Parts: sequence; structure tokens; C-alpha cells
Amino acid sequence: MSITAETAKQHANDPAVLCCRCEAGTELTPANFEDPNIFPDLVDSGLLNLDGALKLGQVLNGTKLTKTVDSLTPITPDIVDKFDEVGAGEEEAAEEAAPAAAAVAAAPAAGGVINLHIGEGKNIDIQIPAGLGGGAAVAGAAPVVAGGAAAAELEDKVVRELTRKHYVIEKVARGPETKFDGKTLYIREGIEKEAVDSEELVLDLKIDVVTPDNYHTYSEAVMDVQPIAAKDGDFDLGYGVTKVLDGVVTVVTGTTEEGVQIGEFGSSEGYIDENMQWGRPGAVDKGETLIKYQVTIVNGKNMERPGPMAAHRAVDYVTAEIRKAMKKQLDADKADSEEVLKQVRRPGKKKVVIVKEIMGQGAMHDNYLFPTEPVGTLGARPNVDLGNVPVAASPLEVLDGCIHALTCIGPASKEMSRHYWREPLVLEVLHDEELDLCGVIFVGSPQANTEKFYVSRRVGQMVEMLDVDGAFVTTEGFGNNHVDFVTHIENIGKRGVPVVGHSFCAMQGALVVGNKYCDAMVDSNKSKSGIENEVLECNCLDKEDAIRGIAMLKAKMAGEEVKPAERKWNPNVKENNLEACEKALGIKIERAANEQSLPMSQKRKEKYD
Amino acid sequence: MKYGDKLIRMEGVIVAVKDGAIDVDLMGRLGFISVPKRMVISEGELKVGQTVAWNMSFLEQKSTEINDKYFNNLTVREARRLEILRQYNEEE
Repeated sequence: MSITAETAKQHANDPAVLCCRCEAGTELTPANFEDPNIFPDLVDSGLLNLDGALKLGQVLNGTKLTKTVDSLTPITPDIVDKFDEVGAGEEEAAEEAAPAAAAVAAAPAAGGVINLHIGEGKNIDIQIPAGLGGGAAVAGAAPVVAGGAAAAELEDKVVRELTRKHYVIEKVARGPETKFDGKTLYIREGIEKEAVDSEELVLDLKIDVVTPDNYHTYSEAVMDVQPIAAKDGDFDLGYGVTKVLDGVVTVVTGTTEEGVQIGEFGSSEGYIDENMQWGRPGAVDKGETLIKYQVTIVNGKNMERPGPMAAHRAVDYVTAEIRKAMKKQLDADKADSEEVLKQVRRPGKKKVVIVKEIMGQGAMHDNYLFPTEPVGTLGARPNVDLGNVPVAASPLEVLDGCIHALTCIGPASKEMSRHYWREPLVLEVLHDEELDLCGVIFVGSPQANTEKFYVSRRVGQMVEMLDVDGAFVTTEGFGNNHVDFVTHIENIGKRGVPVVGHSFCAMQGALVVGNKYCDAMVDSNKSKSGIENEVLECNCLDKEDAIRGIAMLKAKMAGEEVKPAERKWNPNVKENNLEACEKALGIKIERAANEQSLPMSQKRKEKYD
Repeated sequence: MKYGDKLIRMEGVIVAVKDGAIDVDLMGRLGFISVPKRMVISEGELKVGQTVAWNMSFLEQKSTEINDKYFNNLTVREARRLEILRQYNEEE
């Protein structure tokens, strides 16, 4: 297939290969050439040998063929009358430009100084003290250069604060009423029946308290992991005071009467210690006690929307009673520790937005948005009912549990409710002094492509209105949500906004679609083989991915080029990027553990990696 | 896998549409699959009677060994099913 002049320009440094048979004397134009994108496959299969081939940019200047040759023949000096030397004029320019590129690239390593080289201004070298140092300095310095002194005077503004009051719970027991006694949480005996009666589709509910010494316990497939938190006084979600229990989390599991897992395909039930990627933002931390609910719902409802929803609401019936006790009994002045989260706007810094794509295909592919209590169900609206259109949230609403996730497949890459409570990208961007996070946009992923494109266009328009300098787009899981994921990136990218995408891809979640704006992507895979390994939260966005994404967006906003990805998944790319971030930022990034860190029986070890 | 890179076009008919999944009969009596909706790319609404197509290959046995974890899970599930059945019979 021939290529256009525009494509030829893009691929000026790629080999020139004829797409069709060509007669001697033909003057070569882009229409004579094959698309270089397909060369790797042809080379791999032995159909093409590119040794000695001239570059496209060398043969589009009136070059004529001296010999009649077949299709897929690389252009070599012996079959053309003339060709340009390897960018004769270009090379000089390249050499001149080199210091600029090198300087910008070197700045992160040097830490203190940014060298800018302006070619057209006849070798003017400018040195600006970057102040903060590190790779981040490249992006951070840009507004200073652009805005001058005025920009430097703009002060950070704290929009609102959210205080988390932590109460350590050391023991969870059953008792005649739901209450706190010292560091013990008592859950009322018999509350199970009320929870079951509150939902028509729920037939049974069991509460198990799993303590750290008992992690090797069988569990049904985990549907969700939730923090236990309650708003203090009249505060709405996202500001004021939130009380939260430390050392204890809610774990929702469930099946139908016949033992079929709710919202699950195949089995991911098993021993908790072998199925949980401890310490991930959305998972349980080692040492925490699990209040594990096992809900049984009516047969056949595991794949129908009311089924998983009923299971979640039944569990929330119990959690709501714990919240009531928290509000009443836990003294706001006597918290064990306190954490103040500030939503800071930084005028003059690069303004960014985080677009988080959440599931919205139906049934368990859904989320309750904006409940009245953190990760509650009351007052919330499912994003499917909202038509999956983009919805704005403040970063603090996200961290205050504005998402109650009806978690579906697959366990390794689906973001649990707790993930949003500790969302690493939101936290990292919020705390980054060189970025001005204006907010978070949640957008559902509908089933049909027509609806996907509908919501995606709204995302693009919303981002345009925000006048941001850069955007992150994240998605959870993999599947047809990748269609809208890349369309969001396209709709943002085509408006001239640099954008970085976050998703689990690797081997199994490889993107089936793409466009030219998908040039800066962060793969959140952690598994050794690059697959959905059925270990809860293993492949979800973690702090290390957030750091990589931020570095990538800063580079992109500063106009640096992001190297194209390799054709096949290569885990070394991630490691190299992490090392580059460490070097540039002068920090040590802790690598997230994967399934290899979990206990495995000898037999399993032989079968897997 | 020894034969993993050979892709074969398969076709099927949607025989059930649930809120979170579709069931598909493979044409030519080659089996039946149930997949989460998220793994289906569709232009519009999914309906019973529509045809779907995808590329796949043959399933290959990964190992002759039985995986204890999955085997145990199945055993537990079956035991529970029988237990529930017993309870119902007693109630009746």
C-alpha cells in the first residue's frame, strides 16, 4: 500500500521500500513506497531485508529508478540515479540542536541548572537556576520562563481541607450491640438477619473476622475491599472531618445458592494469603483484620444487575451501623492519629486534570458515585444510571470514598473501593509542587461503541473547557473499555493537550486499538508473565506507576519526545523508566511486589514461574 | 504453548444476554462460551440472535499435573452445593 506525503515526512528516517513493481526511469514519490509500520513483521518473517536500504527522506527529492524492480524492494544506491546524503544540511542542524536536546535531557541529572540553547538566536545560552532541582525542574521552570516575575509571585491556595481522624482497632468481636470499647469493635449479634431481610435477593449473610494469624483461610472471590469510615458532624464528602478505623477493613464476598461466584467468571476464590497482593492501594495491608462478609444471593442473579447491588447494600447495612457507632462514640478529640489532606491549587504551575475511566457496562461493571458516607451506598447514584457521562469530583472527594466500586473481573486489575481512598495518582499529583491539579473527572465505560464515543466526546469538551496544560487518563481492568480509553486520549490529544494514559496492558491486556495521541502510556502491570494472575489488585495503578506517569507528562508538557514503545511487551521498559526517574529525581522508588512474593505450595511453584 | 500463534476465525450466535454477560453458541456445534460483556466489542446493544466473531486457537493442556488450588476450590464448591441441597430437602 502506498503512503501519503505526510506519512513519508513522519518516516523520513525509516527505510525506503517500494510498495509495487516500478519501472526504470520512474521518479519516486511517496505513492511508490510501503508504510514503514509494517516492516518489523516482514523482517521477522524473512520477507524483507533492509540491509543497505536508503532512507525515505533521502530519495524523495527527484530521485529516479535506474532499474525495473519488484514490489517490496528496498531502495539501495545501486538502483537509483541519485540520493541525498544522510541529511547533509540536516546533520549540521542536528549538531547545532544537539546541545539543546542534551541540555534538556541532562538537566534532570544535573539537578541545579537548565541549559536552553536557541538555535535561531545565534548561539544564545541561557542558564536559569531551577531551584528545586531534579527532573521535575524541566517542567517546573517552563512557566517561570513564560510568565516572568508575575508568575513567580502567584501564591498557592488551599481550596479546602479534609482531616482524617484515625482510630486504631486491635480486636473485632461480636456482642449484644455495635459499639466501641477501648480498641475493640463489637458488632451486634443477629445483625446478619436484619441485613438479609433488608434485601429481597439476599438469602444469607455470614460475618467472619479474619485476624492476621488466620490469613490462610478459604474465601469466596473477593468482590470489594472497603475502608470503614464515617463523616463527622454535618460535613459532606470531600471536606471537613472523616473518622476512619485503622487496622480493620471490610471485605465483601459472595455467591449464589449454588455456590457460583457473584460477578465472576471462572474461579478466583481460594486462600486469602495466596490471592491477595498485600499493601496495594486497593488491597488489604498485612497485619490488618478483615471483617469478611459472605453474602448468598438468589440463583441466577449473579450476572444480573440487582444481584451484586443487593449484596453490596446488605453488607453496607452492617457497615452503616458501625458508622453510627463511630459518629456517636468515637471522640473527635481523642483520635490516635490525624492526617490533614489539603486540596491545593497552584496558580502559575502546569494545570493538569486526572480523567479516571470506571466500568459502566452493566451488572457488576458499575460503581456507586457520591454516597453521603465514605464508600457507603445511601445517597449514591450508579454511574450506569447517570448514562456514564463524565462527572467532576474534587481530589478530596476521591480520597474521601466517593466511589463505592461494584468490583467485577478481573481481580488483579479492577480497582476496589479502597483504591480510590488511597488513589496513588491523585495523591502524588496533589502533593507535587510543580503541578496544579484542578480536579478529577470520572467517566463510565458503556458497552456499545456508539455510547463510548458519545461519552468520550463529552470528556474531550470538558477538558477543553478546563484549559489544562496536561491530562492523565486512567482505566481499570481491560477489555472493551480500552476502546473508550484510547478515544478519551484522542479527544483530549487532538485539542493540543499533552496526555498520558495509564492502564494494565502487558501481554493479556494489550490494547486492541490505538491512535497517534497514544504515544505516552504507562503500563501498570506487575505480574511476572504480564497476565491477569487472579491475585487481587496485583496489576492496579500503584505509586511507582504514578511517579512514572507524572514524569512522562512533565516531559511531554515540556515538549520532549517520548520514545515509541517496543512492538512486544517488554518489562524492561518499565524498569528503565523507573531507573531514569530515580536518577532524575534523586529518589529511591520502592518497586511494588508481585505474585512472586506470595506463599506458594511446592506444586504450584513447579507449574508457574 | 506449542501451537499458540495460529489464529482461527470462530463465529457464534448470542443465545442469552444478561446484565453483565452474554452466552454464545459456537457455530458448527463447537461448544458454548459465556463471557463478561466487557470482553465483547459491540457497535450497539447486544441482542439474542446476533452473530459474533473472534479469533482464537485450540486449547492446549498446560500440564498433566492437577492444580491443587483449583481442584480444591471445585471440591469445596461441590460440597457446599450438596449441603444447600440437603438443607432444602430437610426444610421440605
